[in-house]
Amino acid sequence: MKKTLFISFLFLVFFKAYVCAEDVRVTASVNKRSAQVGEEIRLNIRVEGQNMNLQAPRLPKMESFDTYYTGRASHITFINGGSTSNIEFSYTLVPQKAGRFTLNSVEVQVGSKVFPTEPIILEVAESQAQTPRFSPTGSAGPVTQPLPTQMPQPVPQNQPSVIAPENDDNIFVQAWVDRKTVYQNQQVLLTYSLYTRYDTRYEGFEKEPETSGFWIEEFPMEREIERETIKVNGKRYVKADVKKLALFPTAPGNYTIQPGSLKVSVREEPQGSNAFDEFFSDSFFTGGSFFARRQNRLLNPPVIQLTVKPLPDVGKPESFQGAVGSFRISATIDKNKVKQNEPVTLKVNIEGEGNIETINRPKLPGLTGFKTYDADTNSKLFKTGNVIGGTKSFEIVFIPKNEGNAFIPPLAFSYFDPRQEKYVTLQTPNFPIQVEHSDQSFQMPEDMTGKAMFQKQVKLEGKDVRYIEEKLPDLLPMRLGGLAYRVLAWLDLLLFVILVFLWGKDRQERLFSKDAALRRRKTARSVASINIRRLKKIAQSSKEEDTKEFFVELEKAMTQYMADKWNLSTYGVTRHDLEETLAMHFGSDDPHLQDILGLYALCDESRFGKGSIPQASKKMGIKIFQDTVNRIERMRK
Amino acid sequence: MRRFFVLLFGLCCMPVALGATADIKSAFQEANTSYRTGDYAKAAAQYENLVQQNIHFSAIYYDLGNTYVRLGHLSKAILNFEKALRLDPRNNDIRHNLSYTRGLLEYRVEDSRNWYLKASEHILKYITEEEINSVVLGVIFVFLVGGIFGFVTGRGSFWSAWQRFVFIMLLSVGLVAFGKQVQSNLIRDAIVMQKECEARYGPSEHDQVAFRMGEGIKVFVVDRREDWSRVLLTNGDSGWVKNTDIAEVKI
Repeated sequence: MKKTLFISFLFLVFFKAYVCAEDVRVTASVNKRSAQVGEEIRLNIRVEGQNMNLQAPRLPKMESFDTYYTGRASHITFINGGSTSNIEFSYTLVPQKAGRFTLNSVEVQVGSKVFPTEPIILEVAESQAQTPRFSPTGSAGPVTQPLPTQMPQPVPQNQPSVIAPENDDNIFVQAWVDRKTVYQNQQVLLTYSLYTRYDTRYEGFEKEPETSGFWIEEFPMEREIERETIKVNGKRYVKADVKKLALFPTAPGNYTIQPGSLKVSVREEPQGSNAFDEFFSDSFFTGGSFFARRQNRLLNPPVIQLTVKPLPDVGKPESFQGAVGSFRISATIDKNKVKQNEPVTLKVNIEGEGNIETINRPKLPGLTGFKTYDADTNSKLFKTGNVIGGTKSFEIVFIPKNEGNAFIPPLAFSYFDPRQEKYVTLQTPNFPIQVEHSDQSFQMPEDMTGKAMFQKQVKLEGKDVRYIEEKLPDLLPMRLGGLAYRVLAWLDLLLFVILVFLWGKDRQERLFSKDAALRRRKTARSVASINIRRLKKIAQSSKEEDTKEFFVELEKAMTQYMADKWNLSTYGVTRHDLEETLAMHFGSDDPHLQDILGLYALCDESRFGKGSIPQASKKMGIKIFQDTVNRIERMRK
Repeated sequence: MRRFFVLLFGLCCMPVALGATADIKSAFQEANTSYRTGDYAKAAAQYENLVQQNIHFSAIYYDLGNTYVRLGHLSKAILNFEKALRLDPRNNDIRHNLSYTRGLLEYRVEDSRNWYLKASEHILKYITEEEINSVVLGVIFVFLVGGIFGFVTGRGSFWSAWQRFVFIMLLSVGLVAFGKQVQSNLIRDAIVMQKECEARYGPSEHDQVAFRMGEGIKVFVVDRREDWSRVLLTNGDSGWVKNTDIAEVKI
């Protein structure tokens, strides 16, 4: 099954690759077929098909035209798990002389196949105007439009001296501000423009700009960075604004902004001397060929000087709290008829262009008939075009103390308009409210209970040691605890001893189970001791049958002990065997051997003889037995 | 029978012990009354009297520390708060007052020890020696009972999975107990009691002054001579100070 799946997978992969090459469609188009000398013509080469990773096609040599590659645009569509992509390569053609020209077919290589475009005929007339020395050639705007188009003051002195990492003037970055002199808290737009003649990929900041003293808002960049072709010092560059920051100076003074370092990677490829499109053989800011060899570059734009003017004191209204920009104000109340101690919420909305986050709530006038609380504050920031703006709303709760007619007074909000260079004061309307009598005391409205702003903050007003402990802990639990601790310690000791004993027993049992002779040898002495105690009890009786029994048992006990000790059969051992074994261990001349043999003879006599045996003989028998045990145990050692 | 008499004797002694407690409580309340009425000097003497009777309660040390704060004797206050914390390490009031009193000191020492030393000290300070020893004994008990159970039931497998687990537990708590033992008995911390204390490069007046400290600074005693102690600060500096200039935090 797995094998089948794998083969199916391989088939799909190869089939798809085959289909990829088959479904490709390549077309070429121009935005106009007739133009004047020096007027730009845009040439688009569109490649449609499955997912592709293509190099920009090289244009055929055209002596009557200057040609520039201006970038690519990719569109990928996913349908039912499959994807199609359209890639459009853009070129700018600038005719150098009049006449009728044929743009030969352009060859696009997809996989191993080459797809040619249809030839295009172009008509070029004589020029009516000169091409400016420094001009953008962006497709959308007119040719002579100054750079940058969206800047209010494209300050020429802001143009950077060419930053040439490793003396390379084919790529540099320009950091510039839209105005050199601003008021405190007025927006300054800081833009980073990258100029390049390479296939370049923007990697981000290597070193962030140092902008202490400024409130910063960053503009999100478009997914596809806009770019345009531009001529600087006679060379054509692709220019793109890679970063935009809105700066709001917090205090007046002269500032030096360190713009930081930008990191880019450029594709290392030999540059053709006369074909500009070779410099931009692939995408700009879109990645390019994955396997192309790239080199990282650090671009350091020069520092920027900025003068921040203080806000004028003349005409500064009392309600001014630092807002700079252009704003509007509106206000609403949630009800105009309430009971005593019932809250009315005034919602004040301020919107406009400027640093909306730093706007404070308009000051409340001194109110005697109301309790007031700040209930909520919301702000929304918008970044439209190159301007930061938004709305900020404040909710203020007014709780009327007295019945009758009352007014929520107008709230004044002032801001400084830098365009008009004057202060502007706005006011909310005067809201009349009717307060009915109520005996209900003040309670926090249910819908306000969750809002922390409504409640007063608990603040630590001083520091001191915490109060003394006035109770001693109960001694009994402590003593019981101590007792339990000691008991547990002794218990552990006891359990440890038991465990060691059990472990020893267990180990002995394991040994004995493997060697029965060892068990007999090791237990012989304890068995003999038990037998001696039993014999001593029997010996106390003077009855004839007990005497008989005593000697029978004595013989058995002695025989068993010696049989266990020397691993002889208890029941099969004969007197002769015992005599030989004893003679071997004690020596045949040993007096104790004679005593033992005498004892055995006495046992026989008691069993078979008719005469009575004196009581002393029993004691002597036990003694011989004990001596035998002691002697044999010593021998073992 | 003999055990019964031992138990009976113990029960007879208990009321005597409880009677002694009543005296302690009465003396403690008297000291508290002196504190409440603002007679801090008298309160301090009464609390000290209890301490000298070998009555060791965190509450007594804590109240004594508070009293010394009121009297402006910050080093004595810190010493007593440290002692109280040894007996009741998780008491937030003691920690707060100790921190507050340290904030009143003239001198401050940076703690430049490694993070793991700080962390282990912090953790070990949340438990008493008795508590961790009890836990160790409890785990030993479980381990021994498990072992005996294995032999008695004839399973014969002393080193079962359960026993291994308990053994790992035992090693873990044993390690903590070892750390606590080191902290309590080997690392002897002390408080500088003099308004200004000179730490020297050697244990004599002839040696050069290494640094000066103010009262209330916590030091670690690493060596002892007849009249001098070598102390280590949390910033890594060390020097010899007179024994009379410091007081060890021991109960």
